[in-house]
Amino acid sequence: MTFEVRIKKWHAVASWTWNAGDDVCGICRMPFDGCPPDGKYPGDDSPVVWGICTHAFHLQCINRWLQSQTEQKCPFCRRQWEFKQAVVGGEDESEDGAGT
Amino acid sequence: MSRSPTAVAQRRIQSELRDWLQHPPDGCKLVQYEDLRTWVIQLLGPESPCQPQLYTGQTFHLRILFSERYPLEPPEVTFLPPSPVHPHIYTNGHICLDILYDGHNGGWSPALTINKVALSLRSMLASNTDNRRPPGDADYCARMRGRSPKETRWEFEDDSV
Repeated sequence: MTFEVRIKKWHAVASWTWNAGDDVCGICRMPFDGCPPDGKYPGDDSPVVWGICTHAFHLQCINRWLQSQTEQKCPFCRRQWEFKQAVVGGEDESEDGAGT
Repeated sequence: MSRSPTAVAQRRIQSELRDWLQHPPDGCKLVQYEDLRTWVIQLLGPESPCQPQLYTGQTFHLRILFSERYPLEPPEVTFLPPSPVHPHIYTNGHICLDILYDGHNGGWSPALTINKVALSLRSMLASNTDNRRPPGDADYCARMRGRSPKETRWEFEDDSV
């Protein structure tokens, strides 16, 4: 016996999270999945960035810190801060970028 | 005189306050935080791993003053008199500790919190065996009367105490 099923309507539901290890940004102490205190929307408007030292911060937060300093150092490990390049579409995405 | 904290600073201070009230660091008690901008922390003199016990049984008070640019700028941290006798703590409560200052060889980082600062100060007391004030204490206090320790150009060279 077979049935024919016709789908008339469907809702897609997705969830996302930044794969940053920590829950909160070490500078503003707000959740990575939320936004920094002066950000309006979470997600692409409040991106999370990584240094080559693997520490993560909200882009707005780390920029504010680096702009206020003459030496560009990571707030956690004090190593020279350099932005880690995002791996787009690579298999490393689970480590380097946002999960979707 | 720094102005009151910005919205960014206020939210960060509120978040630290929440964390502190849930998990206060050992031997520390927040006794004032009404206006958020000024905190007073009661510090219980730590037991020392070695003799002499310089601070056991004593209590001290730390005053934390947040600037409008916190946490990009360090908070102003001083002991309210009477301050503990220590080779890096002046009679007026000013503390020579690199993490409390930025700029010129300062060690402040926005990843530090008041919780960590309080723990560092307690361990600075716990490891001390020298019951003395810093050299030039009286002169320094006379010169700095009413001024912030953030105006001092500190040299941090002695990590042993």
